Parts: sequence; structure tokens; C-alpha cells
Amino acid sequence: MAATKTRGSSFSRAVSAATPSLAPGLKCGPNGTVFLSSGIPDLDKILGGGFTLGSLVMVMEDSEAPHHMLLLRNFMSQGLIHNQPLLYASPSKDPKGFLGTLPSPASSKDDKPRDRDTDQEKGLRIAWQYKKYFGENNPNFTGHRDDKHEYCNDFDLRKPLERQFLIRQHVDCVSLQDSMNLSVLLDHCGTFLSQFPRNDNNSSITTAGRIAIQSFCAPDCGYSNMEWHMLSFIRSLKSVMRSSNAVAVLTFPPSLLSPSFCKRWQHMADTLLSVKAIPDEDRELAQLLTGYQDMVGLLNVHKIARINTQVNLEYPFPWSFFCGCSTGNAAFMLFCSLSSISFILSCWSKLSAGSYDP
Amino acid sequence: MAESVCRTLRDGGLEGEHAPALTIKDSIASPFGFDVFCHVLTQLSSFILAGKSQSRGLVLVAFCRSPSFYADLLKSKGIDVNSSNKCRVRILDCYTDPLGWKFRLMGVGNLRDLSCEASSTGILCKDVKDTNKLYSSIIELGKGLVAEAKSRFSVAIDSVDQMLRHASMSSVAGLFSNLRSHGQVSNVFWLLHSDLHEVRVTASLEYMSSMVASVEPLQQLTNGQRDDSDKASLTEQNLKKGKFHVRFKRRNGRVRVMLEEFHIEQSGISFKSASSEEVTNQGLLPKVQFSLQLSEKEQIDRSNVVLPFEHQGNGKPIQIYDGRNSLMEGKHETTSVSAGNSETNEGSGGGEIIYYRDSDDEMPDSDEDPDDDLDI
Repeated sequence: MAATKTRGSSFSRAVSAATPSLAPGLKCGPNGTVFLSSGIPDLDKILGGGFTLGSLVMVMEDSEAPHHMLLLRNFMSQGLIHNQPLLYASPSKDPKGFLGTLPSPASSKDDKPRDRDTDQEKGLRIAWQYKKYFGENNPNFTGHRDDKHEYCNDFDLRKPLERQFLIRQHVDCVSLQDSMNLSVLLDHCGTFLSQFPRNDNNSSITTAGRIAIQSFCAPDCGYSNMEWHMLSFIRSLKSVMRSSNAVAVLTFPPSLLSPSFCKRWQHMADTLLSVKAIPDEDRELAQLLTGYQDMVGLLNVHKIARINTQVNLEYPFPWSFFCGCSTGNAAFMLFCSLSSISFILSCWSKLSAGSYDP
Repeated sequence: MAESVCRTLRDGGLEGEHAPALTIKDSIASPFGFDVFCHVLTQLSSFILAGKSQSRGLVLVAFCRSPSFYADLLKSKGIDVNSSNKCRVRILDCYTDPLGWKFRLMGVGNLRDLSCEASSTGILCKDVKDTNKLYSSIIELGKGLVAEAKSRFSVAIDSVDQMLRHASMSSVAGLFSNLRSHGQVSNVFWLLHSDLHEVRVTASLEYMSSMVASVEPLQQLTNGQRDDSDKASLTEQNLKKGKFHVRFKRRNGRVRVMLEEFHIEQSGISFKSASSEEVTNQGLLPKVQFSLQLSEKEQIDRSNVVLPFEHQGNGKPIQIYDGRNSLMEGKHETTSVSAGNSETNEGSGGGEIIYYRDSDDEMPDSDEDPDDDLDI
């Protein structure tokens, strides 16, 4: 990883008078960007702080596994906990039903100091295979642990989100089946986003919004074979996002698109993630990975948003991670990073159809 | 595994979950999808009749075969469709008059009423283009079949290809997802000929199903590489047996892949476990050209190699042959000789060349790097 410490030079950066005052749940990032949390602490770390405000995050689903729902659930719950308005669109007839499956934060009272070795904790956690080689010098996890003001919570997928969060913030639910015409959906998003205009002169951000669009090109939506219209929707959404303080997460199954459109959609994304299922009882993989029994899928980070900067980020691409749920009823997720075989998996991701080559 | 497929369908879905859905797909290379469909149909019907399954009845949407064909098929397996009190199978007849032409001609007064055949076992559908109507007919039949409101029923669609001829992909997809999410539907399964459609259509149907069963030929015929007699024998072989490949999407998000062989016989289709090493799991690791593994013998040999600077001991210091007889050995041998003659060797007679090196003082296995004192 390249060091970004400043070298001695005769130029010095003019320090701005005051750092912008931000609502809880937002964090300042480099180059004048502001982050909000994805709901998964380690994913935030990998992305360099979280999702950048004004960016479009796209998640490529695997048609064989519902892992993208886990990402969406955490994203939406985190927004509700921070009292950030939420717009949720899904192909089902009754999107409100999904809100009942949102997880609640794991109780933070009994896990301080946070001990990473206790993998049996319920809640979202990333277990790094080589964690013993990393220093415990992460300032994010020290300090006061008040639930409401924590930037990113650990979620317990077994516990549903308390009703007070759902009532306090009205969640705008849209069924994608109703919108035969994507312009109606675009207008709806535009109205929602007008609550958080981005104003460069104003340095304080009082509230940020979240948009979650699930399975955008699902086959039961009327517009699903109108590929150019869908692409145009995404482009318009991205342009509206740029002028507002919000983050949109859009998931789609790439196998349902033609290859050229799949690539076009991937290029549209500011941040591109993909999830993939793990085969069951794969002996090779079991030998290669510790904790294979607990893992159910792969999370790949293909692209990270570069807003206000031309500089390539420090992390080597692509990184591959494993996400898992324990078998049985308890549902906690572990993400493991295996830098030693990230090369192998990057080869694999290039070999598989529809992958993104940065 | 056909057994696991039937068992998964039999067990049905949990409360609040989408019903399991099976896609059976085949192609011209191995056109036995319909046999597999009939096999699953008869198995599930026998489970239902025996009371072993979650569902209490089955609604069959017949597009490509007449209802009487299915009645005869089930009767041959011991399941009587026409018996009124124990009837567990209802057929939605989309075969006889799918677009309502005969009905309209009847109205003109030319044809007799042909719908009486289907009336005892099901409903006649006269407009297959309207998927909403199709959906409500299926639900109506199913609810009529299982008297209580909480009981569930299965749905079988014998040909999605025919449905797609008359209705758009999105409406068919909407119908399937509505069926899967209906509280009273226990499972759904359908048959598809994959080479009749674009890849997108097959991909959409696979997206919506929780199990994908493909019927494949044992060996693919490759063009131009075999001569005609070979091709003929392969084709003949493919007409009698093939591979049955199933991908299960498990609840925990993992994918299980299973493979079996099937044979076509007079009585129907029979399955047996894959004979050869065909269970090539598409592992996530790419196959590399380098052999990175060591065999047992290689591992043993490797552990036997003594590396230069290892202090393995065995009680004695390591003797490394460095071009001269070591002093140690000399000391051992000359215990019998007088102590003063330390330079001499065993002294078995004859001339000896005695050579003293500059580095005599050094211990034989010094780990010092001789380059250390280079001063560049």
C-alpha cells in the first residue's frame, strides 16, 4: 500500500477555517467527500471509510444465492438507526414486508473491549485470517460506544429491528412491478432526493438519505427487457445523486442481462461490488479455507468511488472476501480476507463471465 | 439426484418463504425432459396420495399433452385421477383449446361441445394469453382441491415454451413469482426446452427457481472431429441414456451440485448414480498447468534432505565434507597412535599428501558468510 504521508515541500495546504459540522452517521473523508456507513464495519474499512455521499453503489447478485439481501439489510438498518430517510424499491408486490427482516444492532453493552478473537459473538464481524499480524491500532473502535452515535453498528441478523426505528422514519417503499414506466420511478427518486440538496457553500450537512433498489432487472418487472431504458434510468439516477447528499445502492443479477449491457452497467457504477455463492461440499475449497463450514459466499470489491480525485486508491484490486453465516439458526456473518489467495480468486473472477476488469 | 429433487418438492416450503421451484430443462442433444417431468409428476402424486408430502393436491397445467394422456399416465402408475372422492390431481387444460377458437366456432354452431372431457378432472382454459386469468384459474383449482384454507397444493406446468409463445417473459415470470409467494402453494415445477429460447429467458427461469435440473447427453457431439460411424453410435447412445445434472440452491445460500445417469426404458426413465468420474465440481479454483502438490513419496524425500546449515546433531556435530579429512575424524582414528601425530591419517602406508589450508583454524561448519568481510 502506498504511503500518503506528505513529503516535505515548499507548498502547504491552506487549512479550511472549520471542519464541516456533520450529522451523526456521517464522516469526513479525503478530498472533501463525506462518507456514510454501509452497515458492515469491515466493508467500510475496505472501502476507505464507507460509501461516499453522492455516489451510486451497484452490487452484482448471484442468481443462485440471496447474499445481496444481506448487504441491503445492513445498509437499510444502518440508515434507520442514524435517522436517515430511506427509499426502498423492490420487484415484489409488497416491499413493506421486507422491512420486517431488517436486523437490529447487536447489544454493545457486553462486548467492550471489542475482542476480535471471540468469533462466536453474534453480530456482524469480519475475521481476518491474518489478523494477528495486523496491529490493533484502529482508532475507529476505541472511544465511546454510544449506540446512536456510532458510525457503524454491528448487526445481529437474528434480531429484528425495533419498531421505533421504523416508525420514526417513514420508509418510502416502491414496488418495481408497478412502474411500467421507468420515468415515474425516476421522478419518485428525484422527489426523494430533493430533501438533501448538495450545496457546496454550505459546509454543514444536516441529513443524508439512502436509496436501496433491489434486483433492478428482475424478470417479473415489465420493463425488464427494455435494456436501453434501464441503462438510461441508471445514468439519470447517477446524475441526480451527484447533486444530492445521498447514497444509492442498486442490486442486479448480471446473468439476466446481455453481456454488453452487463458491462455498461458495471461502468455506470461508482462503487461496484459483487456477491457469489460458494459451492457446498467442495473439498478443494474446504482445504484452502479455514472456517469453510461457516462461509456461504464471496464478496468481491471491483471498484471504489473516486470522487473529487484522480488518484487511484491504495488498495490492490480486486480484493476478494468471504462472507458467511453459521449453519443452524444463529446468523452471524464473518468476512475473511485471504490475501494469499486473492490472486487466485482474481484470476477466477476474470475467467468467469461478466466480470469487471478495472 | 432425482430422489433428492422429489424429496425437496415433497417437503415443500416453510412458512413465509417462497415455495421451492424446479426447472427441468433439456435440449435437442438429449430430449428427455418430458420423461423426467413425468417421473417427477408421478413420484409427487404418489407422495401426495400416500399423505407423505406437505401438499395435499396437485394442479397440472397441461399445454403440450391432453388431459387424457395424463390421466392414463397416472393410472398406469396406480393413481386414479377420475375417482371423485380421493381425487388429488386437477388438470387445467390448456391443450384442447388454448386460444378459444373452437369455442368461438361452436358459437357459430358448427362444432359439438368438446369441453366435457375435461370437466371432471379440471377446467378448460380458453385464453392462455392472459396470465392473470391463468393464475386465478390455477389458484381456484388448487383451493377447490384442498378443502381447508391452510392446506397446500403443488403446481406443475408441463411446458413453459408454450406459455412463452402466447405471453411475454415478464408476465410469465410474474405468474411464477406470484405462484411461489402464494401461501397455499407448496411447490412448483415446470419443463423448458432450453434451445427454443434466448439465453436470457433460460437465465430468468433459472433465477426464479430453487433447483435447476438439466438433462444432458453423456458425451457432447463435437463437429468435425469424429467420423460418421462414431457419430452414429454416439447419437444412439445419447438416445438411450444421458446425464441428469441438478443444482440446488440451499437455504443458507450455498449451491449443491449433483450428478446422475439416467436410462430410458420401456417402462419409463430410471436413474442411477454417475458411473465414471463425471462429478467434476466446478470448483472456484482455476486449473493451473503447474503441479503444485507433492505426492507422498516426494514429501518423504523432501523431509529426508539435510540442508547445509541445519544443526540436526544426532548428538554429534555435523560433518560436512569440505575437501579434506576433518580434524575430528582424525582425532578419533589416532587414539591408538601417539598423540603428537595429529596431522597424520590412518597411516595405512604409502605416500600421503599433507596439505594445510589457510582456513584450518576455522570450524568446519561455520555459518559465517565469507562475503561479509568484503568491503565494497
